Amino acid sequence: MGLEFYEELKAMVGEEGSRLVAVDEVYKPMIRHWCEAMQDGNPLYTDEEYARKSKYGDIIAPPTMLLTWTMPPLWPPREQPPHPFEQFLEKLDKAGFYGILITNVAQKYHRPLFPGDHITFTYKVTDVSPEKKTSLGNGHFVTTTFIFTNQKGETVGTQSLTVLKYRLGP
Amino acid sequence: MAWKSLYWEDVEEGQELPTVTRDITCTTVIAGAIASRDFTPVHHDRDFAQKVGLKDIFLNNATICGFVGKYLTDWTGPEGELKEISFRIQTPCFPGDTMTMTGKVVKKYTEEDQHLVDVEYEFAVPQGRNCGGTGTIALPTRGH
Repeated sequence: MGLEFYEELKAMVGEEGSRLVAVDEVYKPMIRHWCEAMQDGNPLYTDEEYARKSKYGDIIAPPTMLLTWTMPPLWPPREQPPHPFEQFLEKLDKAGFYGILITNVAQKYHRPLFPGDHITFTYKVTDVSPEKKTSLGNGHFVTTTFIFTNQKGETVGTQSLTVLKYRLGP
Repeated sequence: MAWKSLYWEDVEEGQELPTVTRDITCTTVIAGAIASRDFTPVHHDRDFAQKVGLKDIFLNNATICGFVGKYLTDWTGPEGELKEISFRIQTPCFPGDTMTMTGKVVKKYTEEDQHLVDVEYEFAVPQGRNCGGTGTIALPTRGH
C-alpha cells in the first residue's frame, strides 16, 4: 500500500457521524454488576448511605464505566445510518488490513454520572498513522475519540481508543 | 465500614503504590466482558479465540479500565477522584495468569482549586506487561 492510500485515509479523518443515544439510562444494577466483575468495593458506587453523605449526595457510576453505557445492544440490531468510522474500517478491510487489536485507551472524566442520567454521544476518527511494521504484521494505527454528553447537554467525559488494523501473516 | 482517605499532603513524588495481585480466571474475563457489554467473541469464546491464533480468551479493554480505576481508588480511598487515565495494552492477559499491579506517584501539584497527583502504573502478567499507563487523581486536603 502506498502513500496514496494513506492520503485517502487521512482525508477521511474527522468525519463526524450523527449523535447516538445510549440504549439505557445509567442504572444501579448495572453499576453493581460492574463492581462485582472488577471487585471494586468503592462505597460511592454501591453503598447508598455512604453515597448520600458524600459530596455527590447520591450513588455515582464508576467513571471508568463511561464507554459501557453506550455499547450497542446484542439484539435487536440498532438501526442507525452508517457511521464514518465503519466506512473507515471497511476501507482498511478491503485493502487487506483485516486484523484488529486495541492498543491504547484514554478516558477523561469531566462530571460524575448518576443513576437516571442518560448519555448521548458522538465519535469520529481523529488520527491515522502511516503504514507501520508491527510484530503482528504491517498495519495502520487508527484513533477514535468519543465525546459523552448527559441529558443537560453537559460533557461528562471523553474516551479515545486506538486500534491497530493489520495485515495477517508475512 | 470506615473508609480511609489519602490526603494530598501525605503523598510524595516518587512514592510507590501498594503492589496488588489478582488471579485471573475464565470467570474474571467473561464477567468483565459482559459487565461492560462487550460481546466480542475473543472475550468469552475459547474456540473462537484459538481459531484466530490466540492461546485463550483475554481481558477486554473495559475490564482493564475497571481494574485501573479500582487499583487507584483502593489506594486513595473513595474521596480520591479520578480525572483521567490513559494506558497502552501490550500483551493479552489470559485465564490462569496472575496479574501483578504496581505503580508510583510521578507528580504532585495544584491546578485551579484542585489538589492533584499523577501516577504511573504497570499491570504485569507472566508473559510480559499487560498494560502500562498514567492516571490523574484529585485528592482531599487536610484543610478541607
